[in-house]
Amino acid sequence: MFRHRMLRRTMAKGLAGLAAMALVSTMAAAPAQAATEETQDPTVMRIATDGFIDSFNPFTSFYLMPTNTFKYMYENLVANSPETGEVIEGLATEWNTEEGGKVWTYKIRPDMKWSDGEPLTSEDVAWTYNQMMEKDELSVANGALIENFATVEAPDDSTLVITLKEPQANNPGQEIPVVPKHIWSKIDKPGEFKNKENTVGSGPFQLESYEANKSVTLKSNPNFWRGEPTLDKIQYRYYTNSDAQVQAIRSGEVDFITGLTPEQFKALESADNVETSVGNGRRFSGISINSGLADADGEEFGTGHEALQDKKVRQAIRAGIDIDTLREQVMQDYAEPATSFVPSVYEKWALPEDDPVITGFDVERAKKLLDDAGWKEGSDGIREKDGEKLSLRFLSDADATIEQNTAKFLKPWMKDIGIELKNEASDVDTVSERTTKGDYDMYYSGWSLSPDPDYQLFINTCGSRPDAEGNGGTSQDGYCNKKFDKLYQQQHVELDEDKRADLVHQALALHYEDTASITLWYQNQLEAFRSDRFTGFTKQPTDDGIIANQVGYWGYTSVEPVSAENASGEGGMGAGGWVAIAAAAIVVIGGGGFLISRRKKSDDRE
Amino acid sequence: MTTPTHDHPTPPGGPDPGGSGGSTGRDMDEPPKGGSFLGYLLRKLGGALTSMILVVVLGFFAFRMLPGDPVLKIAKERPMSPAQIAELRSQYGLDKPVIVQFWDYLVGIFTGELGESYVYRKPVSDLIVDYLGPTLLLTATAAILAIGLGLWLGQLSAWRRNSLFDKMASSTSLVFWSVPTFWLGLILLMIFGGTLQWLPTGGMITPGLDPWSFAGIIDVIKHLILPVITMVAVVYAQYLMVMRASLIEEMSEDYLTTARAKGLTEDEVRKKHAVPNALLPTITVVFMHIGGLITGAVTVEAVFSWPGLGKLTFEAISGPDLPLLQGTFVVFSAIIIVMNLAADIVYRWLDPRVRRA
Repeated sequence: MFRHRMLRRTMAKGLAGLAAMALVSTMAAAPAQAATEETQDPTVMRIATDGFIDSFNPFTSFYLMPTNTFKYMYENLVANSPETGEVIEGLATEWNTEEGGKVWTYKIRPDMKWSDGEPLTSEDVAWTYNQMMEKDELSVANGALIENFATVEAPDDSTLVITLKEPQANNPGQEIPVVPKHIWSKIDKPGEFKNKENTVGSGPFQLESYEANKSVTLKSNPNFWRGEPTLDKIQYRYYTNSDAQVQAIRSGEVDFITGLTPEQFKALESADNVETSVGNGRRFSGISINSGLADADGEEFGTGHEALQDKKVRQAIRAGIDIDTLREQVMQDYAEPATSFVPSVYEKWALPEDDPVITGFDVERAKKLLDDAGWKEGSDGIREKDGEKLSLRFLSDADATIEQNTAKFLKPWMKDIGIELKNEASDVDTVSERTTKGDYDMYYSGWSLSPDPDYQLFINTCGSRPDAEGNGGTSQDGYCNKKFDKLYQQQHVELDEDKRADLVHQALALHYEDTASITLWYQNQLEAFRSDRFTGFTKQPTDDGIIANQVGYWGYTSVEPVSAENASGEGGMGAGGWVAIAAAAIVVIGGGGFLISRRKKSDDRE
Repeated sequence: MTTPTHDHPTPPGGPDPGGSGGSTGRDMDEPPKGGSFLGYLLRKLGGALTSMILVVVLGFFAFRMLPGDPVLKIAKERPMSPAQIAELRSQYGLDKPVIVQFWDYLVGIFTGELGESYVYRKPVSDLIVDYLGPTLLLTATAAILAIGLGLWLGQLSAWRRNSLFDKMASSTSLVFWSVPTFWLGLILLMIFGGTLQWLPTGGMITPGLDPWSFAGIIDVIKHLILPVITMVAVVYAQYLMVMRASLIEEMSEDYLTTARAKGLTEDEVRKKHAVPNALLPTITVVFMHIGGLITGAVTVEAVFSWPGLGKLTFEAISGPDLPLLQGTFVVFSAIIIVMNLAADIVYRWLDPRVRRA
């Protein structure tokens, strides 16, 4: 009996040991395994993503991930330069305008080919634009861009004529993907076409395959008019959370990631074979102020504090905020100082920092402005007027660290100038619903801008204001000033770029003075790539710009593999400590096993 | 060797939630009448059906009570004209009155159509079928391991109640049980993925590999290890605790003394007599928890980028993709309801006369 038990115990221990060994050996074999397959292919660049994809139909999809991909798949009529984002040649080599910007005539580059080898002519462009103009279901993604189009014609293979309803200065050929007529005209319901594999296009890369929530693979286009890219493939891999993405670049499972938080970014700065990049982004963040909302017809709505309808009070709030400190503390300096809502990367249009209208942090001025507006300090230090307290609500997303930290700084600063600020933090959907209804005094907001400021200026005009249900138009802050509208209209049709820039500056200065919102900063886009595998990323703008989310296909098209000798690929520095921890864990687990067997003996003795 | 299970009469107040007079008035030693089992079954089915109807109704209205207009949220910060927004609204069917939308939804559910996802522009039922496989693979693996580990450690702990082993095993399991899943997953990811680089940091398979090839299967197993460890670590405590409690209860039983008197070793007494009896209530709990395990996959899938139903739900919420949310909600709820029903039936079927109190 005893021998029998002994035997069984030995067997049990032996089995457990075998299992443990099997587990350890699988794990140990893992890096060798992972390093094979496509990971080793020097011309496949892998990018971590978590972007939504509904389809790769450029007529209908407006999610960030597909639209970013379209920029690589389809050349536009005109492109935006990597240096400054200004309009440069795309499918068209040159263009001119007639009738003060009402008729635009483009010369299409001769002898271009689609990725399948078929000729690319002006007829493809005309067909694409006309489809969007004729069919509602094909204007879902880019309808706003063709709203002003009256007719589009291709009198010959190398000429395209766009006739607009109203003249406009902004080149109408930007940002609309042009698709091959010989493919899309044969599709029964183009609005429902997914376009998710072996696509035909004109950009540097074509979509090879797409597996939902797993990967998106792009293949280089040998017929790209600027020449075939060096990279063979770009492969997006799905990572649901950004912390996992950080681990993936550390382990070398992906080669590029973007959208890092400052903490993640700092952690990667010391990682081996990883190079980080701080990019000046095209997004502004700011505080939107409810200066009295109304729809486009002037019908008022919302619960904004009456005091905010007074420009002086709004200006006082700006003067009371130490934006530089806020940027350093909340953004950890990963943001550029801002003037107005056009980011400084668009140098030509952004309101210059030395514009006389710009005022700084000045508590005394803030107090004086509030005094002038009739808000006198009460016994508790909070200002009052006609028995009403100057108490304002700040809506914020409870999950957004930046917003919560901003609120923490704002509260005492506002107290200093006699304004009580209540941070009303809730979920993002509630914030969105309340801002639509106008049920707020201030909230944290932001927008990403295209190279041309026209759209952003447009959504600051009186006519863009939506009603309390959010129908009608889209407005940045519900701003309305007839003088601004006039400047908008003037710049909208001013064909001389310098004159137009001057008008844009005037409009931005007016908006700054009116203080419908306070622009805080232009957030940096924090990115990282495997420097042991790839080099030659193009930034937009060139010096200190962004790699992902560009306007155009520059970021990855110029990328080249690092030569094999330089690519060591071995990380593992500092792994010693972790090995020790793992060893300790094994000892603990092993100890448990020992304990089990030891206890067994004593049980048997009972 | 016969298990002593069948020698014990049913106590009143077992988990027969029907609580009908039929079972309490009956002679305890009398085998249950066929009719009463059928009645029990019908009651349970009725209950499950009622829950399901409630879920279907709730699934529609609860998500419509969420603040925010889905179309405005989708259009937020995008250059969209009012015409584009109106087109989207009509594509999504949101321009119809709520009652009409509800009717469409009901008709859809009874014909097996759960509507079309806003984000994926695909039928929700197709999406759920696509994503169910990975979730089942993950949860089934984790469930088997967690149940095995929990029950095994549980019976050992009970047998050596209050020993060092018992204290260590129970407290370790409770520590893991209290740890946030998200945190544990990320820590494992950092150690074994990012730093040691032993295991992949996310996904189910390296893109480009055929999942049915040998290399593909090995690759999937490697991707499985971390999420499964995370899930097992977080849930095995509940099996351990149930097993431990029911075995301890069993240990004072007379039949064990009889068994020992027959000259059986402690191991044999435990394995052949005590554990089989203690397993009964445990199995019920196991069944009841399987449903919860699948919903628990939401977090694990989000951490490890596992392309399953959890991830789909996660995305549906951020949309908000109403049809997809409704669909996953109804499916998840249905799984739990069916599992609870199964637990009730299995319990009754295995042994209506549980243990003496």
